[in-house]
Amino acid sequence: MSRELVTKSVEELAPLLQKRELSPVELTQEVLKHAESHNERINAYITITRKQAEEAALQAEKEISDGNYRGMYHGIPMGLKDNLYFKNEITTMASRIHGDFVSDFDATVVSKLREAGAIFTGKLNMHEYAWGITNNNPHFGACRNPWDTEKIPGGSSGGSGAAVAADMSVASLGTDTAGSIRIPSSACGIVGLKPTHGRVSKYGCFPLAWSLDHIGPMTKTVKDAAALLEVIAGYDKNDPTSVNVPVGSYMEQITGNVKDLVIGINEEYFFNHVDSEVEKLVRQGIQHLVDQGAKVEEVSIPSLKYAEYAEMITILAEAATIHHRNLLTRPEDFGQDIRLLLELGELPSAVDYLQSQQIRRQLKFDFQKAFEKVSVLITPTLPIIPPKIGEEYADLNGEKVDLIDHIIRFTGPSNLTGLPALTVPCGFKEGMPVGLQIIGPAFKEGTVLNVGYAVEKTNPLKGRKPDLAIS
Amino acid sequence: MMKVILRDVLKSKGVQVSESHLDILEQRWQSIQYLKADIEHAVLDDYDIALTSTPGGDHVE
Repeated sequence: MSRELVTKSVEELAPLLQKRELSPVELTQEVLKHAESHNERINAYITITRKQAEEAALQAEKEISDGNYRGMYHGIPMGLKDNLYFKNEITTMASRIHGDFVSDFDATVVSKLREAGAIFTGKLNMHEYAWGITNNNPHFGACRNPWDTEKIPGGSSGGSGAAVAADMSVASLGTDTAGSIRIPSSACGIVGLKPTHGRVSKYGCFPLAWSLDHIGPMTKTVKDAAALLEVIAGYDKNDPTSVNVPVGSYMEQITGNVKDLVIGINEEYFFNHVDSEVEKLVRQGIQHLVDQGAKVEEVSIPSLKYAEYAEMITILAEAATIHHRNLLTRPEDFGQDIRLLLELGELPSAVDYLQSQQIRRQLKFDFQKAFEKVSVLITPTLPIIPPKIGEEYADLNGEKVDLIDHIIRFTGPSNLTGLPALTVPCGFKEGMPVGLQIIGPAFKEGTVLNVGYAVEKTNPLKGRKPDLAIS
Repeated sequence: MMKVILRDVLKSKGVQVSESHLDILEQRWQSIQYLKADIEHAVLDDYDIALTSTPGGDHVE
């Protein structure tokens, strides 16, 4: 029973907890045991907080026994990315510089999860300061992909992706500035949602780039992501980028009905220079939706050709500003890859940055225009399959391409526009999961989740799990 | 040549560049310049407001 227990999703566990057929204490013990026994191999956790988790599980058990069940995440054990502040606990950002940083307040998402009764099992590994996609961390070690431990899990939320895929955490949160929720979710075969910018408060999350950062769910199923979004979404006056738009019931919007849905396809950008097997799987996923009653329409988004430049300049300039003082005074304390990016970030001019903001505005208009014709856009999440740990290049149909430039090509535009984007698994290439991305209009998370659910219903992973999780 | 310029520019800003980074820095900066070449031809609406600031606090309540 215990091995089977840790593989379950939140939507499977929640009714058992609510009906008291399962105790939060038993579930937490099993998840902790599983996480501890696999962490040496996967390195998904920077810290496992067993004692705090056990105490929280006992409290959840008492509350549920007393008839005070709070909702789907009550009694659910989960680790969170180590750039989200926990009051009076160390939050490292997976860095040396913040290695002993202690916040005196909880991040808004942490306090919302506490209120929902979630049980925190520890802090998850990530790329240093969330700036990178390999999760090959010089201070805490490389996190490994549970589907093939020689490969990267993607990043920067690689610990969250690996932990959920390997059942070391029932669900998790990631942060996403150019794709850092969707890249590891795709690479690890789980569901990852970057909500609309302003939908989830970033208060108490160490920033990478203020105008591009987002926080969102990383889960085993689409319904788990919808329920988690319901917990963490909402206006927060402490976050200047928070937007006061009412939070919907995302679970209610998940019907799986895609009849008359219009799927937008942009061939020119999102299907250009893609691994042929990945492309085939994504087109197959679209066909499954067409078989369920959806229609497909080609859309043009001309300013996408400037997106890579705008993303690059914006992230470089904003991140370099945040870390400027430390780059001048203690550069040797950064990992080599981060230090190099920070050096690069000192080079763009103010005009470069502001032109990039002009491009973003154009891009927002172009997407808005596209969404007058279509309900969602579907794209591959990644154009490539993530490579082995330590490799800086990836294979793209036999061509050796720069990893970082290519891996963010299809995820970056939604950080520039702030539009919601979901990745769901759509199959395997050579034993590694492949993700399909669904982009929607602003604040239409319910729509993208529903389309994701319609893809998930076709069972693209055929119930397979990483060998590690079932060994 | 480009490497020397980059090193000097960064030095003038107080950044001690790691010597081992200069080749990659040059390569990455060149690839940004390559992307930038397209922007020079982009039709950007220069009179549109691309940057905003909210008066009276972060949110209008």
